[in-house]
Amino acid sequence: MPSASSHDDPAASTDEQTSHSLLAFLQSQSQNTLTRLYQRPSSCLSIFRLLGPLERQLVMNLLWLESAIPVSTMAAWVTREGRKAYNSSLSTLAQLHILPSSATKLALNPTFKSCLRQAITGGGSSGSFGVPARYDSSNPGPSTETLDSYALERWETILYYMVSSGNGQYPAKPSDAVLFLLKRSGLMTSFRGAALQITSSGFQFLLHPPHEQLWELLLQYLHMAEERQMDLVEVLGFLLMLSTMELGRARSEYSTENLSATQAAMLEDLRDYGLIWQRNVPSDRFCPTRLATTLTSSSNPLPTSSSTSTGSQAQGFIVLETNYRLYAYTDNPLQIAVLNLFVTLKSRFPNLVIGAITRESVKKALANGITAEQIISYLTTHAHHQMRRHKPLLPVTVQDQIRLWELEKNRVKSQEGYLYTAFASQADYEYVLNYAKQLDVVLWESPSRRCFFGSLEGHSNIRGFIERRTAGNA
Amino acid sequence: MDKASHLSVVIDLSPTQWHLCSQSSNPYPLTLQSFLSQLLAFFNSHIACKDENTLAVFGAFPGKSVLLYSSTTIAAEEHSVNADANTYRPFKVLDSTIMGSIRNQLEALELLEAEAPIGLVGAITKSLCYINRLTIPSSSTTPAEEKQAPLDPRILIFSVSPDQSPSYIPIMNSIFSAQKLKVTIDVCKIYGPDSVFLQQAAHLTGGSYLHLNRPDAVLQYLTMSFLPPPGIRQLLSVPTQDKIDFRAACFCHKKIVDIGFVCSVCLSIFCNPVPVCSTCR
Repeated sequence: MPSASSHDDPAASTDEQTSHSLLAFLQSQSQNTLTRLYQRPSSCLSIFRLLGPLERQLVMNLLWLESAIPVSTMAAWVTREGRKAYNSSLSTLAQLHILPSSATKLALNPTFKSCLRQAITGGGSSGSFGVPARYDSSNPGPSTETLDSYALERWETILYYMVSSGNGQYPAKPSDAVLFLLKRSGLMTSFRGAALQITSSGFQFLLHPPHEQLWELLLQYLHMAEERQMDLVEVLGFLLMLSTMELGRARSEYSTENLSATQAAMLEDLRDYGLIWQRNVPSDRFCPTRLATTLTSSSNPLPTSSSTSTGSQAQGFIVLETNYRLYAYTDNPLQIAVLNLFVTLKSRFPNLVIGAITRESVKKALANGITAEQIISYLTTHAHHQMRRHKPLLPVTVQDQIRLWELEKNRVKSQEGYLYTAFASQADYEYVLNYAKQLDVVLWESPSRRCFFGSLEGHSNIRGFIERRTAGNA
Repeated sequence: MDKASHLSVVIDLSPTQWHLCSQSSNPYPLTLQSFLSQLLAFFNSHIACKDENTLAVFGAFPGKSVLLYSSTTIAAEEHSVNADANTYRPFKVLDSTIMGSIRNQLEALELLEAEAPIGLVGAITKSLCYINRLTIPSSSTTPAEEKQAPLDPRILIFSVSPDQSPSYIPIMNSIFSAQKLKVTIDVCKIYGPDSVFLQQAAHLTGGSYLHLNRPDAVLQYLTMSFLPPPGIRQLLSVPTQDKIDFRAACFCHKKIVDIGFVCSVCLSIFCNPVPVCSTCR
């Protein structure tokens, strides 16, 4: 057995692990939809990759077995410590209809089993991994660098548009389809027909890692596809197929001839998001970009060679000091704009931006709906590699202060209610107050001034009580 | 725990032993052909589990050891493989590269060479060097980063040949370096008697040693016992060894001994008492 000391405790880390957002979406789909989705080997492979490690292992164990396995035999595969993780894995797999739950014998969904087998051994005639276009030597496909810069440019246009809508300036506009999607997802909104404004969830979105951002938008796209009467299976199947394609492979492209009408229509949308590259429109060939090919892996979806010539994005570019000063080695307008959300920028050089985290700047961010945790996690993920020597990574004082500023915001709590004053006598006042206390609706009282404040829901009762009393006295 | 893992595989490709293994007089014969096709399915499953998983395959041939495939240095051959809409491309590249290089190596073998002792130690050492090279970038930086090293390296050895006692010392040395690198060594014994040295290798590095009872079902064994990375093996009931042969080979005649004589200074092992230790004098 492996020695326990050399590895982290796996049981503890399984609980923390959150499953992929696409899985939650798939779990809400009908069995029929899922079974149709599992008919393509590329979809099976991509979905398999999104599963947790133990779930993948269970699927693999069952993959090459022809007959069903008794539940008790399968339970013997895991140790006692793994029991909890095992049960949750089984329920996830059952919800995805990969491993239908059963009281006696378990076996993989036959469609999923045969297609995953086919994905691993190869062969078949489904053409689900993308049909390559004939290589055209006079007009070769784009290089990886072209694709990367294209994807980056598209993606940053979207984000930059979002971030700069907050301060009233409008840079290059993404296409209408993208704007519609942003509006639908609630990341941006327009007040009374005015120009689009970023919402608080939009601000939070900006601080997420690119992989999550991408899936957030694509999930919204999937929801929209349902409403647009597009076939969800084809839409999903196409996305998952893209994720198994190869980036800039020998400068050749993929052919569109095997795509259905729905999928051909998707090409245009995905081109707007920067997932697909096409030389001219319309074209019978296309190329997936890095955004598309990393959909089911955890590697960075955005190319490292960004507009900053140093490739600082992969390394991180932020240096934060204990005196709240922040140095960001970047010339990327998007990164500067995002930093501007919670940093007071002081000076700007060709490759460097200097600013400070101040109470005002953080308050502004909090007012936009960004949480302290999001600021801290953004700073952590983009920290310069020089910062990584420190332990903890960010200065504790700054982290604590950002959290305290957030708490400050929660100092005052508002509650609607009624103030009861001008009681005729102390006895009257106490009588009503006692009644209100029995109802547990008193929020504040001041016997010297003979008044108290009651919550909204208690008002009708108290009013009725006072009216009955004055009527009785009269 | 859901991080990329690296798998280095050492395949014992002794023509003589594989011929014996495929004899129909065995209860469950397994030809090299069918073994390799199951092995490729296993490799594909490893890559399928995670996009970032890496793989290196070393072949131990009579008298030499060769790197057959590694997922980091394939750029050169990649173009020669034709695209196919029905197969995931990385799988296709992997399969054709491995099969092609095994074929080339076996065809290049001279008749005389085929009887030379198998280059198992060389292959293990090469795979350790390979893993060391992969881990260098993370270990050269700060200790804070070392914790999140992306690798979970392990070596899987497929063995068909019996132990060669002269290689006792180099194998033990590889085991110690593996321990130092925190590499798990798994051993899958497909044919032949239990290997004393490899049992110890698996035991000392926290891996599994598996002697296949049914070599024809090798894929299922591989998937269940060797596919999970060390991280999740603690959740699974992976096979463990109930008895391990801890015998050592003597330094003088390279014989495996039950009872030996040990130098009180340098701990060298001898099968006969000698007045002066030949290692430390």
